[in-house]
This record gives sequence, C-alpha cells and structure tokens, in this order.
Amino acid sequence: MPRLCENASIPLSPGDITASTLPLMPVEHAIRATGLTKRYGDFTAVDGIDFTVNRGESFGLLGPNGAGKSTTMRMIAAVASRSAGTMSVAGLDPEQNGPEVRARLGVIPQQDNLDEELSVRENIIMYGRYFGLPRRWLNAKTEELLEFAQLSHKATARVEDLSGGMKRRLTIARALVNEPEILLLDEPTTGLDPQARHILWDRLFRLRESGTTLVLTTHHMDEAEQLCERLIVVDEGRIMAEGSPAGLIRDHSTREVLELRFGMDRNQEQAQQLTALLSSGAASANGAAAADVGVGVGVGVGFSHVEVLPDRLLVYAGSAESALEQIHAAGLRPMTSLVRRSSLEDVFLRLTGRTLVD
Amino acid sequence: MSTDRLTADPELQQPVSQAADKQTMAGRARRFGALHQAERTLRSMRAYGTVILFSSVSQPIMYILAMGLGLGVLVGEGGDFAEYGASSYLMYIAPAILASTVAMAAGIEFTFPVMEGFKWRRLYYGAQASPLSPGQIASGHILAVSVRFGIHAAIFTVVLYLFGAISSPLGVLMIASAMLGGLAIGLPIMAYVSTLRDEKGQMSLIQRFVIMPLFLFSGTFYPLTNLPGFLQVLGWFSPIWHANELGRVLAFGQPSPAWLILLHVLYLLGITVAAWLATVRIFTRRLGLEEWRGRTPGAKADAKRQERLAVKDAADSTAPGGAAPDSTALPRIAFRRGFGANYYSGNIRAVFGRGLTAIRNNRGVIFLSGLLEPVLFLTSFGLGISPMIAGVDAEQVGLRGGGTISYAAFIAPALLAVSAMNGAIFDSTWNVFFKLKITKLYRTMMSTSLGPVDVAVGEICLALFRGGIYALGFIGVLLVGGLIDPLAAVLMWFTALFVALGFASVGMAVTSFMTRFQQMDWMMMVLMPMFLFSATLFPISVYPAGVQAFIQALPLWHAVELMRDIAFWDFSGLTLVHIGYYLVMIVVGLALTTYRMKKLFLR
Ligand SMILES: Nc1ncnc2c1ncn2[C@@H]1O[C@H](COP(=O)(O)OP(=O)(O)OP(=O)(O)O)[C@@H](O)[C@H]1O
Ligand SMILES: [Mg+2]
Repeated sequence: MPRLCENASIPLSPGDITASTLPLMPVEHAIRATGLTKRYGDFTAVDGIDFTVNRGESFGLLGPNGAGKSTTMRMIAAVASRSAGTMSVAGLDPEQNGPEVRARLGVIPQQDNLDEELSVRENIIMYGRYFGLPRRWLNAKTEELLEFAQLSHKATARVEDLSGGMKRRLTIARALVNEPEILLLDEPTTGLDPQARHILWDRLFRLRESGTTLVLTTHHMDEAEQLCERLIVVDEGRIMAEGSPAGLIRDHSTREVLELRFGMDRNQEQAQQLTALLSSGAASANGAAAADVGVGVGVGVGFSHVEVLPDRLLVYAGSAESALEQIHAAGLRPMTSLVRRSSLEDVFLRLTGRTLVD
Repeated sequence: MSTDRLTADPELQQPVSQAADKQTMAGRARRFGALHQAERTLRSMRAYGTVILFSSVSQPIMYILAMGLGLGVLVGEGGDFAEYGASSYLMYIAPAILASTVAMAAGIEFTFPVMEGFKWRRLYYGAQASPLSPGQIASGHILAVSVRFGIHAAIFTVVLYLFGAISSPLGVLMIASAMLGGLAIGLPIMAYVSTLRDEKGQMSLIQRFVIMPLFLFSGTFYPLTNLPGFLQVLGWFSPIWHANELGRVLAFGQPSPAWLILLHVLYLLGITVAAWLATVRIFTRRLGLEEWRGRTPGAKADAKRQERLAVKDAADSTAPGGAAPDSTALPRIAFRRGFGANYYSGNIRAVFGRGLTAIRNNRGVIFLSGLLEPVLFLTSFGLGISPMIAGVDAEQVGLRGGGTISYAAFIAPALLAVSAMNGAIFDSTWNVFFKLKITKLYRTMMSTSLGPVDVAVGEICLALFRGGIYALGFIGVLLVGGLIDPLAAVLMWFTALFVALGFASVGMAVTSFMTRFQQMDWMMMVLMPMFLFSATLFPISVYPAGVQAFIQALPLWHAVELMRDIAFWDFSGLTLVHIGYYLVMIVVGLALTTYRMKKLFLR
C-alpha cells in the first residue's frame, strides 16, 4: 500500500485556488476534540467530550446503542455540525474546511450506502472520481481493492445482487480508494463472517503499520482488544473511561470472572449470600487452592464484588477458580459455572451498571 | 390492531389475552384479512388525506375553469355538442375529466406503493409474517385504493353538480363508472408492477407509455371520432374511453345503443376481474412458499452490459501505462483553497459523470421516453381539437400581423416550454428527493472531498443534459411538421435549456425542504394549475383581467410566451421581462439550493 507522505508536496499558500496535492498532515495529533457537543433539539447526543487521537494510532470508541458513537464519527467526518466545542482533524476545522478534511479521510459508515445504480467496479471508480482522481489510475487501484475485498469475480455485477457481507466488504474497499490518512470505521465488521473479519483485521493492522490512523467504533470486545491501542468508553454522550484495553481491565475489573447461574428467581438472594461468603472467606483463604491457580497466598480469592444480571451472576475475583471452590465448599450448587478472564465488557458493566451487548 | 385499542378493551382484564387464542385469531385473519390490510393501507394514506381531499375538490374546479371555460371559449358554445346531448362544452367534458383524474390517480396508487411494498420498504414482507395470506395483502391494497377513488369521485361529482355541469340525476352513478375505469386501467398495471424485482424507471415508463397515451387518446376533450382512424383504435382499447362514454351516458344522457353501453361495462369489468385474479396470483407467488423474487426487467440487456463492461475493463487494464507505474503513487486529490472552499471543490465533472454512467446502466428506452410526451400532446390536441375550431386569431393572442394561425402552431411552442418545465421539475424534484432521502446518494458523495455546490450544480447540469435532449427531439418533430422555421428552432432549443435551468434550480431548492413523500404531492399539486392556467392550450384573453394577472405571475406563462415570441418572431419589451423573470429564478434558486445543501449535509 503506497503511503500518502511519499506523494506529499509543499503546502500551497492559503490564497491559492487551484486544485492542489494534499500536503502532509501538519500536526502531531490526527484528531483533537475538546468539549465536543451535539444536540438534536432538547436531546444531547454527545455531551462535551474531550479526546485526542495521535497520528498513526488506532483509537476505539466503545459504548452501547445510542451512546453517541456514530454522531461523534459524523462530526469528525465533516458531515455533521457541532453544537459546541472545538475539533481539529489533521490540523483543520472540519466545519470550515469540509472538502479538504474529507479528502484525507476514509469513511466506512455504519450503514452501507452503496450506489445501487452502478456496478461493483463502478462503485469504487466513481467514488474515486468524487475525489478527483484520474480514471486511469483508478482502473488499476480498483483491481487492487476488488482483490482485497475478494470481489474480483463480482466486478461487473449489480450491487443489488451482492450478499450483505459482500456489500460491507465493498463499502470498506471503496473507503480505501483515496488512500486515506485517517480511516473512520463505524462498526466495520458487522455482517462479516469470521474469516472475512479476520482478513479485515489483518488488513487494518497493515494499514496501521503503514502509518494510517484508525478510528473505530465496535460492539465486539475482541475486536476492540485486538485493534485498539487506546479507547474511550462512551455512555449517554459522556466518556466513562479512557485507556488501553489491558489498562482499562486492570483499573476497573479483577483479573478473572466467575459466571454462575442459579435460575432466574434465585439470583438476587444468592448474590447477597455469595457476597457475605466471599468477603469473609477472603481473609481465611485456602492457601493451597490459591497457590494451585497461581494467585498469591496473601491475595487469596481476591474477591471484589458480585454483579447481578437477569440471567446470571458475575463474581469478580482475582482467582475465580478458588472462589468457585469456596462456593462449592459452602454447599451452594449453581446450575452452571464458568471461569473466564475479565474483558472490556466487564469494564463497561462496572462503569455503567449496564451490559454492552444483548 | 393497534396496541392502544387492545388496552382499552375490557376483555383484556381477563387473565387470558386475546392474542393467546391463536385459533380464533387465525380464523379471523382468514375471513377478514383483506379488510385488515385495507385498513392498514388506508391508515397510511390518512397521512396524506388532506392532499387527497384537497385535490378532489380543487381538481374539478380547476378543470372546469381552465378547460371547460377556457377551451370552451375557443371551441365555441355552439350546438356542436347538442348531437351528443350536452348543452355546453363544459358539460361534455365533465364526466370524462372525472374518469381521467381517477385513471391518473390509479397510475400512482397502483405503482409506487406496490413497489414500495415489495422493494423500497418491504412492507409486504412484514405483513407476510402475520396470518394474512398474500392474496389478502393484494386485495387489501386494491380495496383501500378503491375507497380512495370512491371518495375522490363522490366529491368530484358534487362539485360538478354545484357548477351545473351534470344534468341528469343518474350522474351519481358516475362514481361507480369512474371507479371501475380506474380499476380497469390500474389493476393490469399493478399486476405488472408486482412482478418486478427492481425498479429501473419502469414507473415513469408506465406513466409515459401507458397512462399518458391512453388518456390523451380517450376522447376526453373532444369526441374520439375527431381523430384519424388509427388513433381511434387506440381509444377503443383505452379503459378511460369506455369510462368516459359511460359517464357521458349517465351525466347528460348521451345517446348510445344499449349494446354499446353493455360493451363498455363488460369491457371494464372483464379487465378488472382478470387483472385482480392475476395480481392475487403474483402476490401469492412472491409472498407465498414459492418466494419468487420477481422478474428483473432487462436482464438480458444487463448481461450484455456486463459483458461489454468486462471487455472495456480488460482493455483498460492492459492499456499502456494503465496498471504500471501510475498505480503506485496516489495522484492529487481535487480540492480548492480560498473563496468558498468549504462549499465547492471544483469537481462538478465527477457528479455529472456518475449521472451519465447511471443513465447508461439503465435502459435507454426510459431515457428516450421523455421525448414522447410533448409529441403525444401535440398529436392529441392538434388533431383532436383542430376540427372544432377554425384557428386562433393572432390579434387575440397578442401577436402583431393579424390573420389566424393553426391551432397546432399555436400550442406547439407552448408545449415545448411545458416539456422543458416537466423534465427539469421531474429531475430536480423526484429524482433529487430520491437521492436525498431514499438512496442517500448525496450523503455518500458528501463523505468525499466533494462540496455541496459540486453536488447541486452537477445534478442541475444533468437535468439540463436530459432536458436538452428531449427538447432536441421535440423541436425536430416541429421542424419536420413545418410548425417552426430552422432559425427559430435553434433559438428555441437554447430557450428550452434556459427555462429548464430556471425550474431545475428552484425545484431543487424547494425539494431540499421536503422531508416526506406527501409534501412532494403538494408540490405536484401546484404544478397542475400552472399547466392548466398557462395559456398553453388557449389564449390568455379568454379570462377576466384578475385571472389574467394571476396567470402572468406564474413562471410557466413567461416561458410559454417567450417560446411563442420566438416561434412567431414577434419580440417586444415583454420578451425582456420574460427573460428577466427566469434570470431571477435561476439566481435565487441556485443560492437557496446551495444554502440548503450545506444545512442538510452538515446537520
Ligand atoms: N439526526 C438525528 N436526529 C435526532 N436524534 C439523533 C439523530 N442522530 C442520532 N440521534 C440520537 O443521538 C443518539 C446517539 O446516536 P448514535 O447514532 O450516535 O449512537 P451510536 O452510539 O452510534 O449507537 P449504535 O451503537 O446503535 O450505532 C441516539 O439517541 C439517537 O437517537
Ligand atoms: Mg452507531
């Protein structure tokens, strides 16, 4: 993938009204937002958030439905106005320099909006034409992108005849046609099968290595953990936490989680019982068992707290295995139990009291 | 069934909810399913109920004033129509106008909503998941539309009675004859549309190649016998003609042999029943277990296109310098700095190019169908009305030189203006609305380095391109027919583009304020009187001064007059006023469009 800066030239003076080659992004941060706010009437979709995305970084926005992720993305992409706050994308204000900012961006919207009147290949070519790229260059570039999206055999088909996943791949390929400096991906892998998803991840890794800045929203924890160096957790238009995936888990959750099911009606009473049991048990931990699972004797179970979900209980503990042993020892018999590592999902639950997906 | 009605139901206090009794529910759906579906459709129509009511009241009044009185003055109130049993021209055309307006409504109600149900919003697939059978979904829609026709026809009839345009009490039955006519023209169309998997301009094809000819050659504004023989045949096939003739028998007792009356009724009934059955069958194929996805019209042409593209692409990629060194470096990306850089990136070409590619991908016949409309109008009115009038007095229409001009020569330049308007309005309203709200094409464009001005101007250029080709065709017909001379032809072509630019820029500005289809209907309702009161089909002098002033304020009149000035080589100071009027329209329209585009895309 050719890098943009190889082709960069000296910035033209602001008064020059001829078409110009994109100058190098002049600032260190790719995106900087302060007090970013978006109101629709009385409703505040994005409520004064601050964040900075460094150049070449991959940055994630994580949050439940309606958190304001897409709205934030649209403001970055210079297709939505701000109600308040400042924003700079590649050193420019997207509201003042829409076309120039968008020339540097690749946008993959949450909903595919392909041109149904054009064929698959024409979709990519025309999209490149909107950037003013020459047809001859686009012909070759399009082949490359079709290859990448594994759509070469569908090149002359109508968009209408593609499957949902193929449309998604075409949308992604199309967004790469201008070799963007900053790629905005709004839930990029929705509708992709596992194989296509992994190919996309691989491709995004390579783009990042070549210096492209990635900003993505996602519901998939594994995706965020894989792709994002840094992320913000958003809920109801506000930032709940910020950090690297591992850092967030360390700060806001325990190392492991024990998932227990006692049956719908009994969860609440069991939770109290468990909290009492494990809090007191933490002091008199079974040293041998704790050592077996590699938790320091002094830490013991490392019990933190219990979350009650409609269908199950989550026991947060440094060592979920030893917590389970204690529970069994106390004569409690959950219907099912599962030991797993903490994930961003748990971070989110801790911060907002709500689950992310479902 | 709506939820609020469910909660209001006292029976719900009982422990078992109504929904729990699946047996009864299914039974009810079996018996009354079509009615449920009809209710649903009518409820959704209620959203634009005011539009329907307004048009039912205003259409008869407009036609009475414009055609009945306006054209009536030209045709003369003589005894010409006595042999048909009517005491005036107005009385003669009134029943036919009722039948024609219902037929026009059928052309809308049986096309767009059906396509919407299958494709655009997939409403029918939602209904499919309920206990309704596919046949009931079809019949429900038909019943709902019939109710709408009935209401429209009833209001229309009342207005006609009030104006004394109906003499017989039997005229009330026209409600039934008009409804039957609407179904007979609409149901075959519905059957056809329901086989379509994809809409590639078929809706406008139906309007232009089916409804328009059937309407124009149905003896609405003159007896069918005024036309030459082969065009009369077209009328015999037209359900509108049969409904017209039935209406005339009912409204003023037009003398007709009994067998002919029976034939009218049987013809309309026969088509209605056969097409209804066919529609139910097609709905069953598509929504039933078979899950037929529908025909893709022009599939063969599509395959050919794909082949052609493949060949072209192969040639492109092997062309010298095609894939080689160019592909490694990203060429420059178009954007400007300096004045208006936030609105205009200097890349109108791309928007225009996309439009051309889309036109090429759709079938050419659709593109060319726009040529047909003015030719049909000219044929119908030129041939049909001419026998009833001696010619148009040149003095009466404000032309110097005196004498009379043939009716065809009188309306020809005006029809060119009307067609320029129609083409521009269609492209800048419906098409723009579609790309704005339904396919969201502009949103895609605006996520690239294009600015709102690129998009707006590109689209307007496209509208002009299309309008220019249509105008070229019609002017060709006028030249061949000897109705204009070559120099005027050239000037008229440029004028057509000028007029189209005026309407396209204003049309686009207005469309940018629209959020729902119903509002588009309102806009179309403004265009209708503009056409009728534009002095296209008769001179403006037939009206009292007040009405004249109103007509002169409307844009179409200026276009019509400008075209006539050129066609009859009769320029005056007024010519400059006409030109100025359009210059203002263009400037205001473009400014407003740009402002709105910015608002819309930077919400
Ligand atoms: N054009 C609009 N007008 C009014 N409200 C809007 C508009 N666009 C978004 N909203 C509201 O703003 C809020 C945030 O929407 P947004 O699409 O940004 O959420 P999201 O985080 O992307 O959610 P999801 O995960 O479902 O995609 C929602 O409550 C939504 O209803
Ligand atoms: Mg979203």
